[in-house]
Amino acid sequence: MIAIGLESSANKVGVGIILHPDNGDTPQVLANVRHTYVAPPGEGFLPKDTARHHRYWVVKLVKKALQEARVSVKDVDCICYTKGPGMGAPLQSAAITARMLSLLWSKELVGVNHCVGHIEMGRAVTGALNPVVLYVSGGNTQVIAYSSQRYRIFGETLDMAVGNCLDRFARTLRISNDPAPGYNIEQLAKKGKRLVDLPYTVKGMDISMSGILAAIDSLAVSYGLDREAKEGEGDDVPTLDAEGNPNPTRADLCFSLQETVYSMLVEITERAMAHVGSKQVLIVGGVGCNERLQEMMGIMARDRGGSVFATDERYCIDNGIMIAQAGLLAYKAGFRTPLSESTCTQRFRTDDVFVGWRD
Amino acid sequence: MTTTTETYRPPPLPSLFATTTPPPTLLTQGAEAHLYKTVFLDASTPAALKIRPSKPYRHPILDRRLTRQRVLHEARCLVKLIREGVNVPAVLAMDWEGQNGESGQGGSWILMEWIDGAPVRVALERWEAWLAKNKGLAEQNTPQYQEGTTRVRDLLRRVGQTVGALHKAGVIHGDLTTSNLMLRPWKADAEVALEAGECPSVDGDIVLIDFGLAGQSASDEDRAVDLYVLERAFGSTHPRTEPLFPEVLQGYRESYKGAAGALKKLEEVRMRGRKRSMLG
Amino acid sequence: MASLETLHISHLPASLPVHVALYRDVQNAPFLRQQLLSGNKDFEYALIDASVVFSRTHALVAVFRAVNDYLNNRLKSRNVHSEIVFSLSPANNIADSFRKFGLTDSTKDLLIIKVSLTPDITHESVEAHLQEHIQGTPVPFDDEILSTIRDVAKIKKVYKLGSLPSSTTKEANGTLSDGDRQLEKCLLGAIALRGAT
Repeated sequence: MIAIGLESSANKVGVGIILHPDNGDTPQVLANVRHTYVAPPGEGFLPKDTARHHRYWVVKLVKKALQEARVSVKDVDCICYTKGPGMGAPLQSAAITARMLSLLWSKELVGVNHCVGHIEMGRAVTGALNPVVLYVSGGNTQVIAYSSQRYRIFGETLDMAVGNCLDRFARTLRISNDPAPGYNIEQLAKKGKRLVDLPYTVKGMDISMSGILAAIDSLAVSYGLDREAKEGEGDDVPTLDAEGNPNPTRADLCFSLQETVYSMLVEITERAMAHVGSKQVLIVGGVGCNERLQEMMGIMARDRGGSVFATDERYCIDNGIMIAQAGLLAYKAGFRTPLSESTCTQRFRTDDVFVGWRD
Repeated sequence: MTTTTETYRPPPLPSLFATTTPPPTLLTQGAEAHLYKTVFLDASTPAALKIRPSKPYRHPILDRRLTRQRVLHEARCLVKLIREGVNVPAVLAMDWEGQNGESGQGGSWILMEWIDGAPVRVALERWEAWLAKNKGLAEQNTPQYQEGTTRVRDLLRRVGQTVGALHKAGVIHGDLTTSNLMLRPWKADAEVALEAGECPSVDGDIVLIDFGLAGQSASDEDRAVDLYVLERAFGSTHPRTEPLFPEVLQGYRESYKGAAGALKKLEEVRMRGRKRSMLG
Repeated sequence: MASLETLHISHLPASLPVHVALYRDVQNAPFLRQQLLSGNKDFEYALIDASVVFSRTHALVAVFRAVNDYLNNRLKSRNVHSEIVFSLSPANNIADSFRKFGLTDSTKDLLIIKVSLTPDITHESVEAHLQEHIQGTPVPFDDEILSTIRDVAKIKKVYKLGSLPSSTTKEANGTLSDGDRQLEKCLLGAIALRGAT
């Protein structure tokens, strides 16, 4: 069976085509194409501009995907799209496109939970059977474990997503959003050495980010780093304070932010692993590409006698193929989204989805 | 892109305990701490040793700060509660520095008073197993069944009273489950052989353990969440005892003046649950 | 007359046995204090006014803490013996801890503790030295005797535990009553947490 998946919940619009061989072999990615809306430095992506970008690209991407996959419309079994969660205006791009294609091609629709898409693609790519999942992106931060046909949320952020916190700090430092603010923070952090004290806010299995962002923002302001880096000014060359001691640099701040926040993520993941008795961790979502996070998670998992599974940027970052994968699993389990219900929604909890395709 | 690794090895004990004979026995291994049974001062005094190993995934400065903060926090809660007369294990000795911070070996530890008995979880599991095996007695409402139920109700009241005493002292447990409530038998030899049909003993004092997630608070909201967590734990762990859970709340209600406020808040917390809706 | 007790405290290295002796009606406290003040190495003991020692466990917990700090190079005072006196204190002021727990000129009941830091310090050598220099009556170091020496009101005051319900009931054969046990636990907690920031 073949499914096409459409994703547009944030600043990426993606189209993927997946094949589930009839003999039960592992799924094959036939196409996975995407285009990203990049906002200027110091700015976040605004819903209206992002949606305009997605509307402009989505048809081109569908055509490109079909071409790459070398499949014709009649081979496609169902059309899957992201129902939520996400930003309202961008979400509508995929939903409307999916509805149009459904009517045009007379194919059935499957509305997919974005988070479940990440989890299912991660499982398919890595082969992790029943991992504790850390889903960490610009919009979501959750620790998830599967239990009786639901992906249950064990811990989550009480306020802001981790990716959002990193993006916003990138804006404070006026770091480029190309290819992604988080990626650029990661590169800067590699040059950082000095750990500054930041709040560490783990509450049971939940975390809170707002105090950390406020603290690091105010540090950046107090060291005069809340502006574009000047020509020839190194990111890791400290200015001196009144007594001649070096101040933390941009690199140090990025380093400290990563070290603190990722420690919190690894901690709540470990707690969930201990709770459900799992030895596998799967990291999904855009922040999951971060090598330092993967490394820390790997050390934790090793010390528990387990292992960590992570995917690369093709699957970590929002994409259409994960929507096709989760949608096709649901479709094969009998799930359909009638046209009249083919809406999208900004709020859609991971544990609201009935996971009919797992035991 | 996966990393798989060799078999699990528990972190080395802090050097003070590395040469202890017999070596401390590992009881439980949580995400944060390892709990051992050992002795204190002399070989005949049992004690619980809770070690917070350093976490190699964390930056060493952050690691030292956190381990120290948490082990101290837990010890302070316990010491405060002992002073207030709440049933918790006493702190016998501790080391918040970990040893030789640099080596990253060992980590911080607390030696605590050993609490005899078994968790309330075990007592209730025994009771529920007895119920399951003696369905007939329950259906006929025999004197044994009635007596057993009365004893369990009494146990649940004591649980409520102990949680009440905890909250009265201004401390929130943060992880109230029936595994973290010990039942310390009144008689030393509680493991008496049961006569046929007699239900298992649930006699004993309730002692609260594991203050790893505890905090100081006197807010109705925090107290209510504590109770809610316990209520949920009953629901998932002891389905047959759950109908008697109101006894816990009754014991709680009678235990201190502010209880009514917390119980009122509990109704709100039940309605909304822990669920939060979220933006994408 | 042999009442010097030598014990191995669990977890502490076997190479560090601890010698403990309790004396009543000590006659030469000023002389002993003088030896301490002049830094006479032969008198390197923890000399504790036994009236502020609640129980055997109370004293041994202070030894445990001091030796652990010694093993980790964290002594706040001159040596492990002064550290034992300091470890009894719930507060960080060393001089003050000596005033409250240490031997004074008027001390009548004296608890003496010596840790064998070197192999030449043995049960026999300590015993001989004490026999020669302590003018007092050696008594067993146990809770029954300590309960007749201790000044509970003073102990509570030093540890700021005045609000604890006081128990006046004396249990037979020196075992602790519930109230005593609670007080003891509070003392141990205070010792364990001293210096935490």
